[in-house]
Amino acid sequence: MYATADMLLTSTPAHAAEQSQEPAIEVVLVRAVLQGDREGFSRLYDLYAPLVHGILLARVPRAEVDDLVQDIFLHAFKKLHTLRDEAAFGPWIAMIARNRAVDFHRRSKVTVEINDELRGSDQHDSRAAEILELIRSLPEAYRETLVLRLVEGMTGPEIAARTGLTAASVRVNLHRGMKLLRQQLGFMEGL
Amino acid sequence: MNDDYLWDKTGQPDPQIQQLEEILGTLRYQPRPLALPKKRNYFPLLAIAASLLLALLAGGIWLRIGSHTEAPPQQVRVEQPASKPIEAPKPVTSGSASNPPILARNRIHKPRSAPSALPKREREEALMAKEQLMLALRLTTEKLHLVHTRTQPNQIKNQHRVG
Repeated sequence: MYATADMLLTSTPAHAAEQSQEPAIEVVLVRAVLQGDREGFSRLYDLYAPLVHGILLARVPRAEVDDLVQDIFLHAFKKLHTLRDEAAFGPWIAMIARNRAVDFHRRSKVTVEINDELRGSDQHDSRAAEILELIRSLPEAYRETLVLRLVEGMTGPEIAARTGLTAASVRVNLHRGMKLLRQQLGFMEGL
Repeated sequence: MNDDYLWDKTGQPDPQIQQLEEILGTLRYQPRPLALPKKRNYFPLLAIAASLLLALLAGGIWLRIGSHTEAPPQQVRVEQPASKPIEAPKPVTSGSASNPPILARNRIHKPRSAPSALPKREREEALMAKEQLMLALRLTTEKLHLVHTRTQPNQIKNQHRVG
């Protein structure tokens, strides 16, 4: 499955413009890159790498995420001319990241992720890996939004603006996902 | 549960969410420089291609000019019959008397080699080969004729009777 229907509830450009000024920056940067400005793409990378990182972290083993982020941006650099709407760079690269994660699982054999516990790192990191695993066990629509919010530190409006989802969808996903996560973590007994 | 804090980090902070943020923050994206592929410089390749093209063009033009070299002018004289003496035509041009009149001029692209231009030895070999070929053809014809007569004996007999 490449994308859920919930994820495809994209906001209109005007709506996105109301949420944030970033679409205007995207448009300028994408046009600059298409005219040969490579620095413009580095700026796009700085803006969108956390989004791609979060999307991948919700789906693939941590050890693979950094390399995949680079691969996705290199692919995007080569295929940028195929982007019809410059304002839709965020949703476009988010979709590339989701598809790449699906391809990763399709191609890779069954592997056991060497997490921080096995590496023998400190307890804080191992706890983070455990919680991440719990988030990954949630429905797809929730896990991505929760990772972007809790791991990457993005706010709801930022998530909506960069992924192209409506603010309402993000808010619902955050609320329901957090509720499920609390149940999994057993917050009633304390973290 | 404080939804505002979860939504946009405003309002009363939720201690549980803050704790989760603190723990999961260790997995946050660590900036890494993006290594974009180097832009290819096509100028040397284009320069080489242009040089080759120019060289080919120059070579082509040179060959074309060389093949069209002008042959020496040939003179054609038209002999008039003795019974009808006609005055020799005067040259139209106002050339001097020392220059003979040019009545026709041919452009010869390439002088064709005449058969006589072959060396004597090669010519003898060619003649011998021709004779051998003719002999082989004659033999073949005779054999074919013999086969024909043997396969159709009745017709031949009849022909003899008629004859």
